[in-house]
Amino acid sequence: MKPILLCLVFAALAAAPHAQTAADVVRFAVIGDSGTGGEAQYQVGRQMASARSRSPFDLVLMLGDNLYRRASPEVYASAFERPYAALLADDVKFVAVLGNHDSPESVTYPGWNMNGQRYFSFTRNHVRFFAIDTNVLDAKQLEWLDQTLSTSQEPWKIAYFHHPIYSNGKRHGSNVELRIRLEPLFLRHGVQVVFSGHDHMYERLKPQKGITYFVVGSGGQLREGGVRRSETTAAANDQEQLFLLVDVDREALRFQAITRNGAVIDSGAVQRQPST
Amino acid sequence: MTTQAMHLRRAGAAHAAGRMTASGFFHFVTGHYLLLPIGAAVALVWANTAPEGYFTFARLLAFPVNAIAMVFFFGLLAQEIFEETMPGGALHDRRRWPVPLIAAVGGTVGAALTYAASIRSSTVPMFLDGWPIMAGIDMVFAYFVVRAIFHRHPAVTFLLVLALASNAIGFIALAPSFLFDGTRAGGSGLLMAVAVGLAAWLRRKQVRAFWPYVLICGALSWLALYLEGFPPALALAPIVPFMPHTRRRLGELFEDEVDAAGDSPRHYEHVWHYHVQIALLLFGLVNAGVMMTGYGEGTDATVLAAVGRTAGILLAVAAALAVGLHLPAQLTWRDLVVVAVAAATGLTFSLYFAIALFPAGPLLAEIKVGALLTAAALPLAFGVAWLFGVGRFHPRLHSFRR
Repeated sequence: MKPILLCLVFAALAAAPHAQTAADVVRFAVIGDSGTGGEAQYQVGRQMASARSRSPFDLVLMLGDNLYRRASPEVYASAFERPYAALLADDVKFVAVLGNHDSPESVTYPGWNMNGQRYFSFTRNHVRFFAIDTNVLDAKQLEWLDQTLSTSQEPWKIAYFHHPIYSNGKRHGSNVELRIRLEPLFLRHGVQVVFSGHDHMYERLKPQKGITYFVVGSGGQLREGGVRRSETTAAANDQEQLFLLVDVDREALRFQAITRNGAVIDSGAVQRQPST
Repeated sequence: MTTQAMHLRRAGAAHAAGRMTASGFFHFVTGHYLLLPIGAAVALVWANTAPEGYFTFARLLAFPVNAIAMVFFFGLLAQEIFEETMPGGALHDRRRWPVPLIAAVGGTVGAALTYAASIRSSTVPMFLDGWPIMAGIDMVFAYFVVRAIFHRHPAVTFLLVLALASNAIGFIALAPSFLFDGTRAGGSGLLMAVAVGLAAWLRRKQVRAFWPYVLICGALSWLALYLEGFPPALALAPIVPFMPHTRRRLGELFEDEVDAAGDSPRHYEHVWHYHVQIALLLFGLVNAGVMMTGYGEGTDATVLAAVGRTAGILLAVAAALAVGLHLPAQLTWRDLVVVAVAAATGLTFSLYFAIALFPAGPLLAEIKVGALLTAAALPLAFGVAWLFGVGRFHPRLHSFRR
């Protein structure tokens, strides 16, 4: 009897973050540096489909390096359409930004829903997403970002782009040149959560000036031992390919980092700051 | 005596006396145009030890340095080159031009093809637009090295024409990205016409002071380029041909010749010699700072392009000779190899082209690292000269010294 009770309690706890109605919660997955076309990417894709059967979501953010070979119909098929076939069949919408390995012309690829734009913004209920192109962060884009952030009224503002401005990755690490341009805008306009890739590992950083940064760069690629943990690291993993599953209600953003084998290696919540 | 020669003599005298005074050190540094590499070295250390402070500083100064201070560098360069085309100058005899011009085209094609092939074989197609950067040849350092090796020799002229043509190709190749980026403002063509017309009028009135040319015509030209979206640092280039000039002798680029009329104090490069060097110091400081983690496939492609340029130069010259053209008198194939290696140095011009083409960020950082690494061609040119026994390393050294 005792084990059954424990199982019921566990099941109830596991379901708790997802018990709210669809209107209250914006749920999405996040993958970065995924486009290898390798077996690990397919495994991550299967885990995403499996997670979706438990916690339905209809949005996936792609953090760039969505393809590692020159874009062609065959490459799109092998490194995007087939790994995520189950999700695509259920009309899950993938919304991408480009990484340094992506072809510039991929902005017109229908499967990534960029509508020919390198940077753009879209809203899901109470969440406003800002897709930023850090390959070419010119003055025009910064002006657009400043303007769009300033007019956004949604409780949650989430930015995502390829190159991390905070990272303890050994290969690339923090891009400070981008940070001095983006961080002041994030702080001024109340961005609370940022997703990036580029470093082929997973890292959640302790809030930096109040903003929580995730590096989710192991959606297909992986650099084993690629994290140099520091005092800014809240959690990290450089051993498994994974994706991030995120729930956002009006008061909190909850996340789970799920590996290609289905293990949850990090989870937690970011509370919405009252001022934002 | 030339200004630079005086600087070097003072530095040399101090050195010979076993002491390097602050003044002697300053003259040595400015005489050898070392402020740019000093600025670059400081920037590299700063960017890798206190990146947030460095990049904030660099961002703050980027426009004043790249768009305003560098006006005087490009102005000086344009002045020097224009004077080299006057009687007595290294570029005056146009019969010497065809082969180095062909070499410039070959070098640019070689660099661009190598770069494109490298990018195409990599997984970073974003860099493909950066091929015009590969046309950049550092006209200051490559010139100094070739002159240090050959002293006064046709190799120096060859390098000058080669670098001038190659950089001109680079600027032309960059033009479409400025023309079609949607930032153009109307009326700037008229503004440029006024600037050039006014400069022509000043010359017609025989105004020998350069200030009106720089302050009035230069400012109008700067505004025209800025409004059009072109690099405003080139503002003095269309004005320079109308400014007062002095005659040159071969091998005196960046040296100030006191003319018979004794008007040197009014002469542009005499007045701006130190200012330009400060501009170069700031240019190195603001633009050369990259984090060591910034290297990548763009870096590799830039370095490979420098090798491709050397190969392209040599192949183009071989083709030119095959169709009946001749190398300049006294210039041998061994000399040419040394020149081609020195011409692999992109440094200042590659950096300038790169910042004109890419905004700050990871792509630019990778190219910058590559541009800085091409400076390795300078000691390499010395090494090749030593290996081939040419120029100052020739067994009969005295025949190359005067």
